[in-house]
Amino acid sequence: MILGRVVGHVWATRQDPRLGGAKLLVVRPHGVYEPALATGHLVAVDHVDAGVGDDVVVALGRPARLAADGQASAAGQPVDDNRPVDAAILGVVDRVELDAAASARPGAAPGIRRPLPALGGRA
Amino acid sequence: MIRGTIIGSVWATRQAAGLAGRKLVLVAARDAEGRASGRVVVAIDTLDAGAGDDVTVAFGSGARNVLAPGPDNRALLCDAAVAAIVEGAG
Repeated sequence: MILGRVVGHVWATRQDPRLGGAKLLVVRPHGVYEPALATGHLVAVDHVDAGVGDDVVVALGRPARLAADGQASAAGQPVDDNRPVDAAILGVVDRVELDAAASARPGAAPGIRRPLPALGGRA
Repeated sequence: MIRGTIIGSVWATRQAAGLAGRKLVLVAARDAEGRASGRVVVAIDTLDAGAGDDVTVAFGSGARNVLAPGPDNRALLCDAAVAAIVEGAG
């Protein structure tokens, strides 16, 4: 999973039916992250009602496809693994707590300290 | 798997049902020489690792096997998990 901030929406009327009309949000990862295409953003489906400005946890790959089935997945029941999805928002972040010593090492977390004051974290 | 250092924790009250009760940690990934690479991942921690701990993080099905080994874990919402707390490396 990665930590990122929601920076926008995407609307698509004509879409693959297996997307099920899911809400699509544009997420800018915190820190340095290298998606398949080095664009500095990714589009993730949202099932937890995140909004622009929220910091979120984004799952990649198979868990992202399962996220739409929420409770069924949590209960270990069969879920749809055939969605055309590779990124999903799994949580809206309330708080990030950074260990001062561990995160202060050179190169440990460039960029990730910047958003923390707004989250109430300890940079 | 990758090697990294735990630099903090993440809390999310509004979250997918499958994440309930999971401890999420921020891991600063190391590069091949053991230095901080600048990349940060969020991983599920079941080993009670703490800030500053040197860990290995497994991804994909390897991560799900940390939480619940076996073929029945395919529905778990987990793509990264702390697999070991490193005590030494050469």
